[in-house]
Amino acid sequence: MPEPGSLASTRREVVAGGGACVVAGTAAPPARAQEARKGTPNGAAFPVALVVNGQRRELDLDTRTTLLDALREHLHLTGTKKGCDHGQCGACTVLLDGRRINSCLTLAVMHDGAAITTIEGLGTPENLHPMQAAFVRHDGYQCGYCTPGQICSGVAVLDEIKAGIPSHVTADLTSPVALSADEIRERMSGNICRCGAYSNIVDAMADAAGMTDAAGRQG
Amino acid sequence: MYLRPSTLREACEALVEAPAAILAGGTDFFPALADRPPPPRILDLSRIDGLDGLEIIDGVLRIGARVTWSRIARAPLPPCFDGLRAAAREVGSVQIQNVATLSGNLCNASPAADGVPPLLTLDASVELASSSGTRCLPLAAFLLGNRHTARRPDEILTAILVPVASPDATSCFLKLGARRYLVISIVMVAVLLEVAEGRVRSARIAIGACSAVATRMPELEAALIGASPAALGSLVRPHHLERLAPIADVRATADYRSEAALELVRRALRRCDGAAA
Repeated sequence: MPEPGSLASTRREVVAGGGACVVAGTAAPPARAQEARKGTPNGAAFPVALVVNGQRRELDLDTRTTLLDALREHLHLTGTKKGCDHGQCGACTVLLDGRRINSCLTLAVMHDGAAITTIEGLGTPENLHPMQAAFVRHDGYQCGYCTPGQICSGVAVLDEIKAGIPSHVTADLTSPVALSADEIRERMSGNICRCGAYSNIVDAMADAAGMTDAAGRQG
Repeated sequence: MYLRPSTLREACEALVEAPAAILAGGTDFFPALADRPPPPRILDLSRIDGLDGLEIIDGVLRIGARVTWSRIARAPLPPCFDGLRAAAREVGSVQIQNVATLSGNLCNASPAADGVPPLLTLDASVELASSSGTRCLPLAAFLLGNRHTARRPDEILTAILVPVASPDATSCFLKLGARRYLVISIVMVAVLLEVAEGRVRSARIAIGACSAVATRMPELEAALIGASPAALGSLVRPHHLERLAPIADVRATADYRSEAALELVRRALRRCDGAAA
């Protein structure tokens, strides 16, 4: 069974300028584990360690804080956007241990010790991730608000295809998944762009994936 | 109060003290609150070992409480699980499938829960643990109504148990929504079909989002026994679906749901027939 965890090495390859990726243990220190067992009162600070874009970050959070708010309000990584805050738009998409998730739908405390990659960790203005560069080249946005989520999702989509994970439109479930515009469109369904930049997003992803065009012809 | 026990026993003991909102994937926790404040107690299952198994033992697939939709979609399971895996690929979005669990889908007990119709056709049960022991309930006995289950406040759903159907069984799942992703289903149909010597040996059909709880269609199932697989679509009649009680809401009128359910059942039967050939 291809486990999502197998994507982790792929993701590390594509983290631009990520340096050493700190792998933190998921086991909480005894004192903290004890506290979690007997309970933390609402409003009390709870220590959470996240490895964000390769750096270990320690936070004291209200346990009801979403991962999205932890990133934006506590770590000031405002690249990740709050669109609907309901899991319906995909603007808050980040990579959790290499898999894409909606950061608005999960509590930060549930991911103590996990590795999070945000748009800031994919590349920098001077050293863009290939997916970021492709979005710029193909004008894969208009207002830009959904773009960080689209790009994080796009990176994960290419990893999922590489890992051979079929989608709803994959016709042959036994052979490797072929890259095509249909596959890209299908897999990007969790990211909404209200400006309607979809066709350019497909072109950008096809380009980043090494396809010559979005008609499905392989480059 | 936030509780993150590391054993099932501790989790059950915490629920004896007072009930809590139980989080497996937790993706529906905030959306379901709407504008209400979070509940006073949250029990996080993320650190309990033994809840993330997905394996077939002695002819029964055991799906642990923390197994995500993505893992079900990607698991190499026999064809009788194709319908369940199809539901796993269409629920929410991939971002949600990577976190949300099938167990959570059942405990939320939405009339439009995508996991329920396929599991009803598979005759699934749920395992409930508490400090006083463990019990199993058939899924149909677990789901009591809209957002209402037989889970006691001191119980945790620890696994879904699914007997593996005959290797000849084929299954499928069709869902109608305003679009395929990130929508609440208007109608869902799951079919599991066994065909022997060119005739239907058994048919199990469940329809969701057309009654408070998704339900099997025994009258229709009986009408299909012995029929030729190619003819199944044309055997479906409106009176076969009289158990449904569709409502009108923002997504569809009741009449539209009835029509769509009929058409979706016919399509699902034709699709299963094709897979069996």
